[in-house]
Amino acid sequence: MSPRLKISSYVIERLSKIDTTESTGCLYGLMYDGTLLVVGFSLESFETETEKNSYSQLLLNFPAEIELCGVVKFGETLTTDSTTKEILQDVDITDNPLIIIINREKDMKAHFIVHDKFEETKYEVFSPEELWKQFLHVRLNTVLPLRCEATIAGVKNSLQNKRKKIASGQVSFHIDSTQVYLFGVASDVGLTGTSTEATVGELVDSMSPEQPSKKKKYNINNAEILPVSLILKVTKDILSDKLVKTAVKMMTTQRKPAFYISMPLRIDTLAMIHRNTKLLDLYIVLVEAACRSLRLMESVLIEQLGQEGIGDGGGLRLPETFHYLPPEIGHFITKLIPKGKSEDCMEKERRTLHEQLGLPLHRPVFRRGNAFIDKSGGYLVNPHEAMPVQAPKPDVTVALVRGRYAYHHYMQDNFNDDGWGCAYRSMQTIFSWFRYQGYTDVEVPTHKEIQQCLVKIGDKQSTFIGSKQWIGSTEVMFCLETLLGVQSRIIFANTGTELQSYAPELVHHFQTHGSPIMIGGGVLAHTILGIEYNSITNETRYLILDPHYTGAEDITTVINKGWCGWKSSDFWNKTAHYNLCLPQTRPAI
Amino acid sequence: MPRTVYSPEHCLQYLEQYASKEIFAIGLILGQMTDARENVIHLARTPEEKGSEIGIESNYGLDKPEIAKNLSSVSEAWIADHARHVTRMLPGGMFVQGIFVTSDEDVFEDPNCFSKLRSTLNHIYKGLSINEYMFGNCPYSNERLILHMSTSTKVLTCKSLEVGGLNKNTTLKPVEWKFSPKALSWQRLDCYYEFDEIYPVIVKNSGVSVKNQFQQILESAHKTIESSVMFIDGELKDGSESLDQLIKKKKTKTNTKLTQNEAPKSMHVSLFVPYENTLPETVEYLECEGSIHFSGVVSSSVFIYPKATVKEAIAAVKQDIVRSLASRFTMHCDALIDDNLLPEEKICFNEPPRRVLVPVGSLYLCDYLFPGEAPAEALLSVRELLDLKITETDVICDVETPADTSEFDALDRDASSEELLATPQEASQFMYITGLCFAMLVLLVSIIIHYYDGIIQVLSKIFPKS
Repeated sequence: MSPRLKISSYVIERLSKIDTTESTGCLYGLMYDGTLLVVGFSLESFETETEKNSYSQLLLNFPAEIELCGVVKFGETLTTDSTTKEILQDVDITDNPLIIIINREKDMKAHFIVHDKFEETKYEVFSPEELWKQFLHVRLNTVLPLRCEATIAGVKNSLQNKRKKIASGQVSFHIDSTQVYLFGVASDVGLTGTSTEATVGELVDSMSPEQPSKKKKYNINNAEILPVSLILKVTKDILSDKLVKTAVKMMTTQRKPAFYISMPLRIDTLAMIHRNTKLLDLYIVLVEAACRSLRLMESVLIEQLGQEGIGDGGGLRLPETFHYLPPEIGHFITKLIPKGKSEDCMEKERRTLHEQLGLPLHRPVFRRGNAFIDKSGGYLVNPHEAMPVQAPKPDVTVALVRGRYAYHHYMQDNFNDDGWGCAYRSMQTIFSWFRYQGYTDVEVPTHKEIQQCLVKIGDKQSTFIGSKQWIGSTEVMFCLETLLGVQSRIIFANTGTELQSYAPELVHHFQTHGSPIMIGGGVLAHTILGIEYNSITNETRYLILDPHYTGAEDITTVINKGWCGWKSSDFWNKTAHYNLCLPQTRPAI
Repeated sequence: MPRTVYSPEHCLQYLEQYASKEIFAIGLILGQMTDARENVIHLARTPEEKGSEIGIESNYGLDKPEIAKNLSSVSEAWIADHARHVTRMLPGGMFVQGIFVTSDEDVFEDPNCFSKLRSTLNHIYKGLSINEYMFGNCPYSNERLILHMSTSTKVLTCKSLEVGGLNKNTTLKPVEWKFSPKALSWQRLDCYYEFDEIYPVIVKNSGVSVKNQFQQILESAHKTIESSVMFIDGELKDGSESLDQLIKKKKTKTNTKLTQNEAPKSMHVSLFVPYENTLPETVEYLECEGSIHFSGVVSSSVFIYPKATVKEAIAAVKQDIVRSLASRFTMHCDALIDDNLLPEEKICFNEPPRRVLVPVGSLYLCDYLFPGEAPAEALLSVRELLDLKITETDVICDVETPADTSEFDALDRDASSEELLATPQEASQFMYITGLCFAMLVLLVSIIIHYYDGIIQVLSKIFPKS
């Protein structure tokens, strides 16, 4: 029997928007409860790439459990050419590979291959909310020492042995901050710390301090991640009849002199699993995740060894793991980036990845800064997302900041700037946005650094440093240009009323650039995160992030007291002048 | 409340045998300190000093050396050395807790005697702190016991004295020494800790120092073991629970009726370690021309007072593995003629002595046998160092087995391969296939037997009798 089919709405959305000259793509999915869930796809450019099986390489960047499950064809008729056949042969996850065909009108039909015949099949669209509600990710962290000859063969051999060791049942897993351990027992799996019937979802719920209420919001920013670490059983089973009791001994061997590398392999890998997965079944998932990660590690190391030459040791860099969760893709992509390698020299690589995943080519998605890690440093990230989502209204356009930013406000960083630092804080929020979007690695500047920057460019006298003088939109513009090379547009509004006439321009700004806007007027500076504009009534509302907040990083207070919230146009002083700084983005990958 | 120490009754008889003959004797008190109770397991008289030669090989009993007749003629260094040797024989959780003396002097009152006792205890303390991995000094207290039996009055007095501190004016504290008539039943915990590590080394012209290699192995093993998580009988236990509670729980669970007197069964310990996390966050390049494969097991059997906590038991097991490793390495290096490995030899083996168990009272201490040594060698050290007579059959020799050198020969041939971890797996795969073939054969034979008549009939039809 062919499985039931569900397709993530992320995939449907992406496929419906895609504009490609390629004829074929690969589908990736996972099996749960007799259902095939398609979670992602990639485009294959077979003609140009000489590298075979680019999809099997790409798959290493996916969370474990996600496997190749079929082919997507762009065209009118259902035919299987040789490349399609080749891909279909590599489908292991199901006996019935999937073929989706999309014509020019973006009509989509799904077929399972059953006994070499196409069988058209119905599918269910899996909403993002369901996806994040029903699935979670386990994240396996460990450090494996790599000590081997600095040759391609040496690295391959060593990593292969590590995979063997991991797959042989010698490893155990510990679910962080719990008493739950999973370990291999002979060819079976053991579990302690909880019931053998327990599911992953139950464990996650029991770990969270809040009640698993129905109110809980499931979306891409709340992806649940269960941290697990790998441990090794160092004692032998006394009762095992295979017990070898040879006392410790040391053998020293001399061989030809050769270069050896010694480095820690920092394994940090994900697996995507359904909440109803039994904890016992997690063992094999984690083993697979570790092995997939080691394969990815191997390819990154070998590529470096090949490039830098063998033996001289000059250029080998530690691979660092970055997980990405691009909102349009809706699943994780894990990348290993050599430590300290500049983003510029990896542009080609990123471009290929963008093309494979059908991502736009004008903004960064896979730079270090884009990674899905908690680098908030205690700041609130995207507080506006904690507000209830408004239902769309006719004739009303809502345009919001794109991506993540951190909420910077008064009194943070143990620094008292109450009464004068609001524009500095607004500037920091904008800066954090550029960091989160991957445009820069530069740290968010402190008040003093902002002042130093303005003195350096001659905008201010040296007495400005350490003072409590205010800055305005133009200073923010200067700083962004000097520190980040970001150009900004300045809009002057003579009165608060006049400001309203710029609403369409602000809508355009958020739609094209998506960066937060700093606005200064009278004695106050604010950050604009979004705009709601009724094209019939001209009614305008602004999503404001207020830097004058002096309290703790508490999302409830921030939202309930309106430190972040929608304000109508009478929020602005009718008689005051206003200056807006609109940071512009440049196309980049 | 003064410190109370519980001792088996045979210790009293042991002291009396010297006191009654009015013999001056000095020796070590061996025991275990837990929050629940402090137990002495054994008293071991320090053997007579034989010239300047320090060693246990010479035949005690045959020659008649000069016997120390009073406390002032005792050599502190000699007793400290005794303590170091005895510590090697103690499982984790057991320590040299002090000294005993039988003499006609009032050792606590006589200032000369007292200063001698103090300097002896401090000598022992210093001697045991030389190698931190031996866990020579009891980490729970710096108060060492002094047990005195007067040869004239047969009165037994016990006091304690602080050692290792900077305070020179330490005073004696009273200790209550109690004899318990019944032999204590100990909770035994067993495990086999396995090593299997291969790493490259720089040989250069100077070769490789065995001592240094062992020291590095010891350091990293200690770190690893300290970071490990310990399971008892396959489960993670609450550190504050006592061991006998675990048994009670298990009994109620399985509902088996065990009589009170039945000795508690040994608990199986497993250790889980996080993977090495001490490596520097850099890529290191080394030009190496050698590699070291350190492999094999350390068997560990510790004996804990049943009312002691899981936490105390865990500490004892961890101490035991590291102490055993350190003991073997020290003994091996002491016996080495040349510390250098290679560079002339292509392959070098170092086989430190292996552990054997020797019975002392109701539990086991251990000893180490070099390759080729017979169990009888253990009798000597037990007699010399523990002042105890056991027979050869008492020695448990199979907790560990000596290395099979043919194993090395096999590795020798394969020395060019990078990591040898795959070898055992390939072997087991081979066995699997062999097993499968055999099973198929059995199946075939049984089919033939089962359908014998049918097959014969069919055959006779195919090949009709001509």
